[in-house]
Amino acid sequence: MKKLVSIMLTAALIAVPAFASGSKETPATPVAEQGTTASPVTIWSWDPNFNIPIMQSAIDNYKMENPDVNFNIVEMSKADCEQKLNTILASGSKKGLPDIVLIEDYNAQKYLNSYPGKFAELTNEFDYNTFIDNKTSYGIVDGKNYSVPFDSGVAGFFYRPSMLKMAGIAPADLENITWDQFCDLAAQYKEKTGNYFFANSKSDGGLLRIMLQSNGDWYFNEDGSVNIKNNDSLANAMRIYKRFETEDLCYPTTGWTDWVGAINDGKVASITSGCWIIGSIKAGTDQSGDWALAPVPRLSEEGTNASNLGGSSWYVINESANKDAAINFMKAEYGADNSFYQEILTNNGAIGSYKPSYTGSAYTTGDSFFGGQKVYADLANYAQKIPSINVGQYTYEADAAVMGNMQSYYDGTDLTKVLESMNAQLTNQIQ
Amino acid sequence: MSSHLKSNKTGWFFILPVAVLLACFLLYPIIYSLYLTLTSTKGIVTNFVGLSNYTKMFHDPMFYKALSNTFIILLVQVPIMLILAITFASMLNNKDIKFRGFFRTALFLPSVTSLIAYAILFKMMFSFDGLVNQGLLAFHFIQTPIQWMNNPGTAMFVLIFAMIWRWTGYNMIFYLSAMQNISSDLYEAASIDGASRKISFFKITLPLLKPMILFTTVMSTIGTLQLFDEPMNFAAGGTTASMVGPDNCFLTLSVYIYNLCFKYSPRFGYASTISYAILVIVAILSFAQFRVSEDSEAKLERKARRNK
Repeated sequence: MKKLVSIMLTAALIAVPAFASGSKETPATPVAEQGTTASPVTIWSWDPNFNIPIMQSAIDNYKMENPDVNFNIVEMSKADCEQKLNTILASGSKKGLPDIVLIEDYNAQKYLNSYPGKFAELTNEFDYNTFIDNKTSYGIVDGKNYSVPFDSGVAGFFYRPSMLKMAGIAPADLENITWDQFCDLAAQYKEKTGNYFFANSKSDGGLLRIMLQSNGDWYFNEDGSVNIKNNDSLANAMRIYKRFETEDLCYPTTGWTDWVGAINDGKVASITSGCWIIGSIKAGTDQSGDWALAPVPRLSEEGTNASNLGGSSWYVINESANKDAAINFMKAEYGADNSFYQEILTNNGAIGSYKPSYTGSAYTTGDSFFGGQKVYADLANYAQKIPSINVGQYTYEADAAVMGNMQSYYDGTDLTKVLESMNAQLTNQIQ
Repeated sequence: MSSHLKSNKTGWFFILPVAVLLACFLLYPIIYSLYLTLTSTKGIVTNFVGLSNYTKMFHDPMFYKALSNTFIILLVQVPIMLILAITFASMLNNKDIKFRGFFRTALFLPSVTSLIAYAILFKMMFSFDGLVNQGLLAFHFIQTPIQWMNNPGTAMFVLIFAMIWRWTGYNMIFYLSAMQNISSDLYEAASIDGASRKISFFKITLPLLKPMILFTTVMSTIGTLQLFDEPMNFAAGGTTASMVGPDNCFLTLSVYIYNLCFKYSPRFGYASTISYAILVIVAILSFAQFRVSEDSEAKLERKARRNK
């Protein structure tokens, strides 16, 4: 009896790998003729208020010229999209993958390095000089381009002129300032009005990354090695974060809903973030006309008043059946169609990374929500000044290591010690 | 003999489908993940590295952070929750109490709410201008609002508080059903002998509940070690960030495994190593709990066996 059990188990064990190896995919169906596709070009995307309708307009534009190509946009949450992509790519299966997928810029290097050969190389397909430099750098591995640069995460310092006026702060006082001056203004605003100047969560690294990139620095060096221990920009940015806390300068939030709620409810007078926040700012329709834009503060005298937070790009899956059709489509729309970029700016507030589009009519028109200010032209202008950095593939590891040690810094631990433990933790994480 | 063998064969034939399924979906993943712990994987870039994942784990501050967070929750939340559950159960087991059905339902109701919904509700209640702060301000308990979710200590308190709210009723039902199986003769006899309510609770109810207490303790321990939904939702919503609460205070072992697989550069090998660490911890804790709750008879038996 016992013997039989063990025989059964052994048999099962032997059988399983056989099943596993037996389920190898049959080779992908031959690539369809250019212009027509056997199956629809499948696209994974995550924001039904932003990148999905934008992709839909790209498709609508493309179909006018190429009615034979069919498309299918699959909507899923960003976390689901990342999970699904990860699991399917890791399993080695060729089935179930989309033809085109949207990937956040901070994540791009991670996927490109972890799944070599899975994404189509596009170096010769696009003229990458037509995209802004700091944007294309996210999608380069070993000198090869993989990304179709999409929305920019150019950062802006958005504020409410009428609220600042109550504290005696004029718009000119916000132009090209440093973060220390920003803190002073926040203190002045709070003293005069009793309200907070801006909202932030002390464990959220968003602003910190804006500060770092504006100084041309990051958690890593150009060669990908950890750059924390002797990183003056980081030390400086941490000092600013500590000022936020010790001087009680920011309205404390714990997540997106809270944070956006603080601006929509008029609890705070400003928000500094990536330009994709415009959609959320505009959700406060009663505040129309009472918003304005200034460049982000700089970290030090050597730094710039331009930075970036987030943003994403499209990637084509290498082994997909519709690879060529997908690339042709992306080339025609994202790499050439100027009017498409004007359309998505007007309809969706999306600032692309395609430089020729920046002189288009949509960019040069004022926005009544911002009191007629030409915010998009301004943002496009900032976008071209953002220092290029190598974000590497470990942004999230770095974020967890840095922000995870901030509490002990707030509690009074010596800065060098905190930086050392951040450095040690991150080094261990990415080994 | 031959007919015995034959019936055995028929039996094996019938369990074959299940055996195959179990082998495919249970045994194979377990063995494959054990193999993964010996590899350094970054997506599909895999190298065999022997035991270095294990040595790495013992030097990983994030792993220790996750471990200590998990154990704080385990040591604080589980005892409070189980004691409350027993208290409520024995109160509601009292036949003299009015509206018993209502109270039972009310106490059980939290455990049918969605994990995500309740986590988000608690997060809202404890936000800077949330219900709790407004209440405390209105009654002048505090002068300035408390940043519940922004300080590691208070954030952990909110998490534990929320979990107690959610899971107490669930455990109470186990105790209640066990209590209803205790014969009322015992209590009657005890009261004739002059035992007070208190004495009969400690001398009759608790000893007879022992198997159920063991069951709930083991289940809660395993549940806590695999804790994922609540901390994940409490921590969600950072602006493109990967922090898990202030000072990573919501980083439990399961959340860390998730982050290793899906948030960070996908390292399935190291993630498997940590899940094996959880397995070992659960095994040790469950074994210890069985030992502690062993009744005296079994203890004597084991001693006698050893002395043979």
